[in-house]
Amino acid sequence: MVSKDEIKHLGWLSRLELTDKDLDRYASQIDEIIRYFDKLDTVSLVVSEPASSMKKVSELRKDNILMFEGDPLEFLKNRKDGFVKGPKMV
Amino acid sequence: MENSLYHLNAEQVASGIRNRDFSAVEYISQILERIEKIDVKINAFVTVDSEGAIEKARSIDDRIQHGERIGGLGGVAIGVKDNICTKNLKTTCASRMLEEYIPPYDATVIKKLKENDAIIVGKLNLDEFAMGSTTEFSRFGPTRNPWNINYVAGGSSGGSAASVAALECAISLGSDTGGSVRCPASFCSVVGLKPTYGCVSRYGLISYSNSLEQIGTVGRTVTDVMMIMNAIAGEDANDQTTRTTPATNATSRGQTPKYSLQNKRNIRVGLVKELVEGADPVVSKCIYSAMDLFVGSDCKCEETSLKSGQYALASYYTIAMAEATSNLSRYDNIRYGFDSNPEEYEWNTYFTKVRSNFGEEVKRRIIIGSYVLSAGYYGKYYLKAQKAREMIKQEIKSLFEKYDVLISPTMPILPFKFGEKIDDPLKMYQIDIDTVVANLAGIPAISIPIGFNDGLPIGLQIMANEMGEQTLFDVASSFESTIDIHGSPKI
Repeated sequence: MVSKDEIKHLGWLSRLELTDKDLDRYASQIDEIIRYFDKLDTVSLVVSEPASSMKKVSELRKDNILMFEGDPLEFLKNRKDGFVKGPKMV
Repeated sequence: MENSLYHLNAEQVASGIRNRDFSAVEYISQILERIEKIDVKINAFVTVDSEGAIEKARSIDDRIQHGERIGGLGGVAIGVKDNICTKNLKTTCASRMLEEYIPPYDATVIKKLKENDAIIVGKLNLDEFAMGSTTEFSRFGPTRNPWNINYVAGGSSGGSAASVAALECAISLGSDTGGSVRCPASFCSVVGLKPTYGCVSRYGLISYSNSLEQIGTVGRTVTDVMMIMNAIAGEDANDQTTRTTPATNATSRGQTPKYSLQNKRNIRVGLVKELVEGADPVVSKCIYSAMDLFVGSDCKCEETSLKSGQYALASYYTIAMAEATSNLSRYDNIRYGFDSNPEEYEWNTYFTKVRSNFGEEVKRRIIIGSYVLSAGYYGKYYLKAQKAREMIKQEIKSLFEKYDVLISPTMPILPFKFGEKIDDPLKMYQIDIDTVVANLAGIPAISIPIGFNDGLPIGLQIMANEMGEQTLFDVASSFESTIDIHGSPKI
């Protein structure tokens, strides 16, 4: 059973503000969905290895530096005097 | 007017412009008028780039006047799902979080379309961050089904399918993580392809679930869908998951096009019974009629079984949500986002406040994704989901030793009315039961129109082995020629 407290905690870890109404709704919906996922429990763990990357690391592309066209700061909403504005750290 | 230029398919437009039967400007002007007239009812477009489209059309006409060669999609109007980055053209993901985002670069597919002289007429509606099956979760309101505007268009690429069905553009790009191109293609009676994982570059596609999603193509005919693939398929240094295919390799040796229709005989067709069993009787009847048509056209057709299919939906949603929660952690409203002054807030308070602007479904998936990845549940859900995925891949692989293609309904149900499933997420997820298999296995799958019931479209899904796009085009095109359900919706 997925509890309201678990949803609240996951909401905090995911940085999502959830109201009491949200918690009620999500708790019952997510509980139903997770119960559906429980059917995965019957999958054998001895099946072969999970899917992995198809490409060898040695085939990675060169790390080319591409210069940004124009001023990247112009794409930001929150900026001031040539700096990016952010929330307080302390 | 039946003789209007906007009725033409991509193939007809490209040859009409090349042969100077009409100009690109004449054609694009009609398309833009059509969008202006129709889209108030359909809501397929988030952004229309009239100025950019006319400018590009003029330059194509100029080049033709000067005897220059133009690309394979020269002058064709294309719409692009609004989660694919277009330089200097807003790309919102139908989310408040990216409502004002203007990408500084083009996705690889966009670069290739431009090199092929396609004309991007605008950006198309979707469920927020491509999470949904009806386009009801868009920040900009739902897209309506052109065949009956009281019904959903499917999703998440609802705008991509509805715009093509409603003759607002000839072709479009969508993205398909668990059926997001094929579902709306089926609901809107157009052709929709999810290519093999690695066949088309994902560079510039705003990520939702990296190991499952592919950029897909929509058109009114199989040939049109193939034409887009000829432009966009192939390896890309910016996407390490892309691979060279026999077809794309032929192009790099200077042999074009990559794909061209061939008349194949004695195709071995397997109807996957688990994917038909739970379908609406009206839909399954239609699929069995399709099976008869295959038998009647020199194909060997029989029922087959995909036992691991029972885990597909749970495996798919577990993996997709786990990847989503990781991908969406980047949205902090500092690097991209909307206008909201962060100065008065403490770090965590600010992020929690702005991230609450994600919509209902996105938040639900972030929470479930965090749940299945959390220490106590990782082994029970995420790891098991990956094991199930491998089982499905192996079973699919063995099926393709016996069959050239596998068929099933694209959607187990007919399009439904707005609001019918929006409050029951599990029910909504369950309608993806037939499409998620192809994403888990990484194989190509196409949805083609197969009929109507009470004016609502039904689609047939055809799946082929990895990099078997050519087989899909051949089989789908030959099937397309045996049934006559063409015509446009009356809007």
